[in-house]
Formats: sequence, C-alpha cells, structure tokens
Amino acid sequence: MTRLCLLLAVVGLGLAAHQPVRAHHSEAAEYDSNKPVKVTGTIKQVEWQNPHVWFYVDVKDEKGGITTWGFSGAPPGALLRRGITKDVLKIGAMVNVEGARARDGSNNASGRRVTFEDGTNVFTATEGGR
Amino acid sequence: MNGQRRLSAAVAAAVVLMAAGLRAQDGPRMPDGKPDFSGIYTPPATVKATGPRGNLIFNADKMAPVKPGAEGLLYEARNGDPRHDEPRAMCLPSGFPSGMLYILPIQIVQHPKHLVIIPELQRAARIIPLDGRPHRAGLEPSYYGDSVGRWDGDSLVIETVNFKRWILDDYHYTDPTKTRWHTDALRTTEHLRREGDKLHYRITIDDSKIFTRPFSQDFELTLRPDWDQLGLLEYVCEENNRCAGGNCRKSDAQ
Repeated sequence: MTRLCLLLAVVGLGLAAHQPVRAHHSEAAEYDSNKPVKVTGTIKQVEWQNPHVWFYVDVKDEKGGITTWGFSGAPPGALLRRGITKDVLKIGAMVNVEGARARDGSNNASGRRVTFEDGTNVFTATEGGR
Repeated sequence: MNGQRRLSAAVAAAVVLMAAGLRAQDGPRMPDGKPDFSGIYTPPATVKATGPRGNLIFNADKMAPVKPGAEGLLYEARNGDPRHDEPRAMCLPSGFPSGMLYILPIQIVQHPKHLVIIPELQRAARIIPLDGRPHRAGLEPSYYGDSVGRWDGDSLVIETVNFKRWILDDYHYTDPTKTRWHTDALRTTEHLRREGDKLHYRITIDDSKIFTRPFSQDFELTLRPDWDQLGLLEYVCEENNRCAGGNCRKSDAQ
C-alpha cells in the first residue's frame, strides 16, 4: 500500500512540478523561490495538521553539529487526496528535501520535493493552477 | 389512418424516451424534479482563462473597466500588517468568493428548501434558502454576505448582497506589492448548472463603487463520487499556523 502511495505521489509530482505553489497564504510573500534550500538529513518530527503539514529534518554538518530545518507543505487533506499519508514521512527516515527558504532567513522553508533513500520522491507542496 | 396513428404514437414514444435519456445524462434529480447537485466536487477550475491563471484569481481581461478614481478601492498596497495584507494567512475569514474558489474541494448538500455549500477551506458553510424568501434586512455587512437562491429552469441562481469590504480574490499571489479588494457595494450572482459529472459555475461580480458594469467569470467543477467515502476533512486553521504572515519564530524550527 505504501508503495502504491509512493507511486501515486511520484505521478502526482510529474503533474505538479511545473505548477505554481498555492496555499492558504501567498507562498511568494513568506518564502523566496530565489533562495532554494536542499538538505539531507533524518526526519525528526511530523505535524500532520492544518493549515499546513510541517515536518522537521535534522541535518548534520561536518563537525557533527545538528541543525533542524522546518518544512511547510500542503494541507493534510490535499496530500491525502493525492495518496500521500502521514506514514510516507517516517520519523528517522533519511531524506533529501528541496524547498524555498523563509524570507525571514530562519531555518524554515516551503518543502517541495522529498526524496527517499530508495530514490522515490513525493511532492509535499500544494498543487495549484489547475 | 391507423398507420398514421401508429406512426404518431411511435414518434411520441421516441420523443419521451429521448427526453428521459437527456434527463438521465444531466444527472440525478430531487423528488421535486429539480437537478440534484449533491456531492463532493474538485476545486473550481477557471474556464478559458487567459492572463494570470488560477482557481481564485479573477482574470484581468474578464474584469469590467474600473471607474475613474476607483483604482484605489480595487487595489491596496501591502502595508506590512499581515491582518491587512493576507487575512487568511492569519486565519481570518477568507470570505466569499475567495473562500469558495479555492484549491480544496467543496461539498454540496441539497434539500428542497436549502442548498448548503461547504468548502473544505475553513469549513465556512453557506446555507442558501431556496424558498423564495427575500434577503434578510438590517444585518451588519459580513464576509460571506447574505444569499438567497431561486431556480431558473435547471439552473440555480444565487444572489448575494450585504458584504463588508474585504479581499476579493488571491490576486496577491501574483503581485507581491498589492492586494485586490471589493467594497460593501458588492453583489454577486452565481449560476449553477449540472451536466453529467460537471458542474458549470458562473459568478457575476457587480461592484458599482469600483466597476463601470458587472462582469462574469466561468468555472467548472467535477463531481468526485470516489471522494464520498473519505468525505470533507476538518480544517482548523488555528491548529498549527506556524510562520503566520511570514514571521517564523525560533520555536518554529525545533
């Protein structure tokens, strides 16, 4: 079932990749698409709540220090109807996350593509511009 | 003569069957014969849009001309206060029409005397009387206005008045400097018509303080019976509105 979800999510990614990101707020006002973020780390926490799913990734640097990044995604309902459930983002899973950094410069970003160790990925932002 | 009668009867029967077939194609009906719009629908998608395209952004090329001097009523510059710049980002009401023309599904629940439209966004149900009553009098202007519905053949016409000044749509998604507003003179007229699994939706915006004339935009919604089992989900904006208005706190990254 999880594999099916992932497959559906990957198909969804293809459809959504070139669509503008929409949410209950203007992504452009809060996140800067000119400041792309790409980190690799382990999922520390997942908040599967409205108005946006948030997930947190612990990123280790060369010296062993850990920085936690927060990523905002679509509303839970929008993800669920695309076949992406909370189980897809497992605590402790190693992921690579691409997104756009918060304009306030904090370690927060709009999370978009999440790639897992096996190479599969999901698109966690809101689809829009249908 | 008998042959002619038989032919006439056959033609009449064929017409009845064709009419029945067309009605079946149009979709189910209520016991009173009115079209039944009940169900969960995809978010409204713009039809034949040009220019900035979006579920909830009116296309400039479809808008009526702005009255001289009214530009400042239609567009307001962001002033840095998120309650003004993007009320919904602070969990304030989306209002109508932007709360309905959104990227989350809507559910329609129909009763002979009421049509209930529930957007998943903010779950702000519109309960629209269909019994011919007039608009309520003496109410304060509101975010969603005061709606009444009537049938025009197989189309449902919903007229809404008594809005408070509020953000019209999500124009600010395309322009980081301005927001687009309506005034308290706004009147909207919606036409809903079902054709199979499609719901044709037209909204007419009539804001006499801003525009020289009313203008309309068409949307299409698709019935999703496969979403019935899941149903609409809860949407409590205040539950976890992190980084509200673009202001992330230290605690937002834990």
